[in-house]
Amino acid sequence: MMNCLGGLCAAMLLGLAVPALAQTWQVDAAHSTLTFTNTYQNVEYTGQFRRFDADINYDPGDITHAKFDVSVDITSLDTRNSERDHTALGTNFFDATKFPKAHFVTTAFRQAAGGKVIAEGVLTLRGVSKPVALTVTFAPHGDTATLDVTAPLKRLDFGIGAGQWADPSMIGNGVTVHGHLLLRKGNPQGGS
Amino acid sequence: MPLRSNEQGWGALVRAFHWLIAVLIVAQGVIGLSMVQMGLTPAKVRVFALHKSIGMTILALVLLRIAWRLTERRPADPSAMPRWQRRAAHALHLALYVLILAIPLSGWWFNSTANAPLVWFGWFDIPGLTGGYDPVWKPRALLLHQTLFWILVALLAGHVGAALWHHFRERDDVLRRMTIGPRKQNGEAR
Repeated sequence: MMNCLGGLCAAMLLGLAVPALAQTWQVDAAHSTLTFTNTYQNVEYTGQFRRFDADINYDPGDITHAKFDVSVDITSLDTRNSERDHTALGTNFFDATKFPKAHFVTTAFRQAAGGKVIAEGVLTLRGVSKPVALTVTFAPHGDTATLDVTAPLKRLDFGIGAGQWADPSMIGNGVTVHGHLLLRKGNPQGGS
Repeated sequence: MPLRSNEQGWGALVRAFHWLIAVLIVAQGVIGLSMVQMGLTPAKVRVFALHKSIGMTILALVLLRIAWRLTERRPADPSAMPRWQRRAAHALHLALYVLILAIPLSGWWFNSTANAPLVWFGWFDIPGLTGGYDPVWKPRALLLHQTLFWILVALLAGHVGAALWHHFRERDDVLRRMTIGPRKQNGEAR
């Protein structure tokens, strides 16, 4: 701050005046996907949730103030197999009538080895809340950015397909979730 | 029993193909009709997987059987058989070959359009025939699979009925030569 010019200093001071001023992004839903891979009868398949809302606050230079808040419409599940989708939304699995939404909110961001960023948070799925860590890859391109997150989950941690469907040779327990978001610069909270 | 067919009777390989495929088709029909009645449990998924594996096995056996048949001549029809019966019998056999190829193929097609897994007895993954999930062709493929099955049931009734008629009414060797071998011994045949 010692060598700064007047205007820049003012901007910095203004910035400091508003706490937790991370960059807010708007999600371009048409170019964003929330997919997952799992196995069925030991054959890998990919599914996706076509509808989700994500509030993304992220500044790669200041990850301590970053925050993700994501709500997923479970009924928008699509695994390119109508019987499987129908079954998956039923009471033995997602039980979408009772639990139509999944929710993920971050609690802390930290820098990990190899320049990776880890977002720790809590996922609430089928009424069960569990800590989940996302690996975050953020790539800014001017006024847009791509945000890729991956997280390994265990379906049985959330009671999805418990009981007679627990056998992992029928449906794999491990599920890798991958979010690919195209972000556009939005207005920072508190205005500019 | 000679391996190859001759004028008097079918060879051992043709008989083995015939009866192996026959047993698998009967089992497959029973499994297919039962499995669609089952409630959705892991057992149902396993029975469907079994049905698919048996179906692919039948398809492979039928292809091998046809390939083998092309290398040899079929035995002569009984001399007492009128011309129309010979024609009807050969047409029925051709139709059966077409059906036992088309039924597993249509099942494979249906499974492909449904984007369902196809793992041969849990051993290896068999790829789909189409480019993945296809909700437009899926119901058509299923209808074809089921319709062909019921046509097969009708033709098999005729096939079995004709075999029994030959054996008990005509008292010829038509059924014997596909089972224990022909009665009249000319040369090498058992």
